Amino acid sequence: MRTTVIVAALLLTAVSAQAQTAQEIVAGADKVRNPGQPFRSTDTLTEYVSGQPRNQDVLVVFSKENPTSHQFRNLVRYVAPARDEGKIVLLDGSSLWFYDPSSKASVRISAQQRLIGQAAIGDILTVNLAVDYTGTVLGSESIQDAEHASRQCWHLDLKAANDQATYARVEYWVEHGTDNPIKAKFYSDSGKVLKILYYRKFADRLGAMRPTEAVIIDAVDSSLATIVAFGDYRFQEIPESWFQRDYLPRLTVE
Amino acid sequence: MRRAALALLLGVIALATQPARADENSDLDLIPSTAPPAPPPAGTVTAGAGQRLYVENAFTAASHRALLVPLPPPASPNWEERLFFDARKEWRLGDNVRAIYSGRLNLRAEDTLPIPNHENIRHDFREGYLSWQAAPQTFLDFGRINLKSGVAAGFNPTDFFKTRSVVEPLSSDPAVLREDRLGTLMLRGQQLWEHVGVTAAFAPKLYDPSLIYTNTSLPSFDPMLDRTNAHDRFLLKADANLAENFSPELLFYREGNATRWGANLTESIGQSIVAYGEWSGGSRASLIDDALRYGRTTGTIPANAPSALPENARKSFQNTLSLGASYTVAQITFNLEYHYDQAAFSRQDWRNWFRIGSANAANHAITNQLWYLRSYAADQQEPISKQTAFLRADWVDAFISKLELTALTSVDLYDGSAFGQVTADYYLSNQWTIGALASANLGTKRSDFGSLPQAASVMVKLARYF
Repeated sequence: MRTTVIVAALLLTAVSAQAQTAQEIVAGADKVRNPGQPFRSTDTLTEYVSGQPRNQDVLVVFSKENPTSHQFRNLVRYVAPARDEGKIVLLDGSSLWFYDPSSKASVRISAQQRLIGQAAIGDILTVNLAVDYTGTVLGSESIQDAEHASRQCWHLDLKAANDQATYARVEYWVEHGTDNPIKAKFYSDSGKVLKILYYRKFADRLGAMRPTEAVIIDAVDSSLATIVAFGDYRFQEIPESWFQRDYLPRLTVE
Repeated sequence: MRRAALALLLGVIALATQPARADENSDLDLIPSTAPPAPPPAGTVTAGAGQRLYVENAFTAASHRALLVPLPPPASPNWEERLFFDARKEWRLGDNVRAIYSGRLNLRAEDTLPIPNHENIRHDFREGYLSWQAAPQTFLDFGRINLKSGVAAGFNPTDFFKTRSVVEPLSSDPAVLREDRLGTLMLRGQQLWEHVGVTAAFAPKLYDPSLIYTNTSLPSFDPMLDRTNAHDRFLLKADANLAENFSPELLFYREGNATRWGANLTESIGQSIVAYGEWSGGSRASLIDDALRYGRTTGTIPANAPSALPENARKSFQNTLSLGASYTVAQITFNLEYHYDQAAFSRQDWRNWFRIGSANAANHAITNQLWYLRSYAADQQEPISKQTAFLRADWVDAFISKLELTALTSVDLYDGSAFGQVTADYYLSNQWTIGALASANLGTKRSDFGSLPQAASVMVKLARYF
C-alpha cells in the first residue's frame, strides 16, 4: 500500500512537471516564430484550389507584443490584390478595427468577423500560443515535417485558456531541442478539425532560425490550402499610438 | 496493487515515446505539390502601395411607375451607361510630406441626356491634399479631404461632412455611397497619444449655397466646392481607448451659427457581435423648414411662395440616432440598425404630403415643392422619415469561392415600405471583377418608398484593376 502511494505521488509529480514543461515548450516555439522585439514582415499568401494556385495576396504585417497581455498586436495592411490595396486591419486583443481607404470608414469588427479574409492569417501566425492556451504533453513522437523529413517532436495538447483564443483546442508538434514548430491542428468547440498548419523552410531571420513558410490546409474543405511566405523581415520601431483606429488612415508602407 | 502501479507508470512512459499515428503523416498529402509563384522581390513588393487604379463599365436599366404626386423634370433615366476611370494615389514628397489625390473620370450616356453634351464627360474631384507629419504623432493636412466620422453602417448621424457630398452613386449601399463622395476643402490637424486621438478641422465658406444638382445639371470639370464649402465649418473630435473594449468618441461641430454635438460608442459582445451607437444633437428646425429655407435661399422656391406643408420655423434641440449591432456567423456578417431622425418626416407629415400632393396633382408649384423636400433630404444624406430600420448582410465566398453577395434593406417604420438591393460580385482574378445589382422600391402608392418614381433597376458591371 505504501508503495502504491509513493508511485501515485511520483506520477502526480511527473504529470505536474510535464504540464510546466509543456508551457515552456510552447513558449520556446513562440520565440522561434516571433522575435522578442517589434518587427515587420511582408507575407505573400498563395491560395490553392485542388492543388493549383488560384490567387495571391500580399500583406505587410506590423507586430508588437503587448507588455501587459504578452500577446502580439498586429497592424495588417493589404498591398495586393489591387482591389484591396490600402485596406488595413488592426488586431489588438478584443480591439479589432477594419479601415477601408475607399470609404474612409473605420469599422469595429468582431473576433469572428476578423476570420473572414486573409488578414486573419497574418494575425493567427503571430499568436503567442503560450499566452492563450494551456498545454499538456501527450508524448514524444517521430513525425514527418512538410518536406517529408522525420522530426522527433513533443506532441502537445493545447486548450483555450481565455476568450481571446481563436480556437478551442490545438494539437501541436514541436521539435525536440530546437523548439521549432513543425505542425499544428486547430479544432472547433465541437471538436472538429478546422485547419492543419505546417511550418517549413527554416532559415536565419532576425537573428534566429525561423520558418519562412507556412502551409495552411482547410480541413473542412481539404481542396483548399494556403501557402504563406514570410519575406522582408525587419525589426521596426512601432509606437504605441499606432494601435488605435485614428492611426489607421496614416499607416503607410515603403 | 504494486504491479498495477508499475503498469501505469510503464504506460505513461510508453505514451511518451510512441511513434506518430499513421494518419498524421497522411496530412502531408494535402499539401499542394505545385510551388507557389515566386513572391515579388522585397524592394518592389510595396511599390504599388498607396494607389488603387481601376476602370469600370456599368450599365443600368430602370423601370418606373405612375405616381400619385407627379414628379417635376428632369425625368429619371430608363437606362444609363457609364465608363469610368477611378484613381486614388499617394506620392511621398519628402521625409514627412505626402500628396494625395482621389478622383473619378466618367464617360456617361443616358436616355435623358442628349449626345454629344458636356455632361457626357465628367470628373469627380474627391480629394486632393497635402499631408505633413509635423512630429511623430502630429499631423497637419490641407486641401480637399474626405473626413468621415461614425461607426454605424447604414446611417451616420456624426458624419457631419456627408451633406451634399455624394455624386451619382451606382449603388444605394451606404458603404458604396461613401466611396464616391466629394471631400471638403479644409485644414485638419491631428494629435495622437498612446490611447487618445484628437482631430480638429476647419473648412471655410467659399461659396453661397447653390441649387441642388440633378443628373442633367452636373458640371464636367468643376470641383463643385459650392457643395462642400458653402458655410464655415469646424469639427473637434476626440476618442480614447479607456479600456480594451471601450473607446468612445465625442464630437463638437459648428456650421455657420449652428452647433451640434455627437458621440460614438462600440462594444464587443462575445466572439461574434459588435454593438454600436451613434448620436448627434443640436438646435435646428425641422427637415421641412430647413428644406424650404434652402429652396428659398437658392431660388428654387419663390421667396414669397407659401409652404405646401405646415411650417414651424421654431428651432429646438433635435436628436439623431443610429443604434445597431453586427453579427458574424460563418462567412456572413449582418448589420441590423434602428435609425431615428427627430427633424425628419413624422407620420402626420407623410399624411399631409400624400393628401396635399394628390389633391393638387395638377398644381406644379405645390408638387414641385413637395418633391423638393425629398430631394433636399437625399442631397443632405439625411433620412426622410423619422424612424427607419436597416438590415445589411454581406456574404464572402457565398456558395463558391470568390463570390461576394451583399443584400440590404431599408424599411420605413411608419408605413412598412422598403428599399431592397442585392449585389453580387465575382472576383474573376486579382485584376478582373464582374458584378450585378438589382434593387427595388417596395410599398403602396401612399408610402415612402412606394411613392418613388423608380420601381426597380438592374445593373451589370465589369471592372479591371491595375
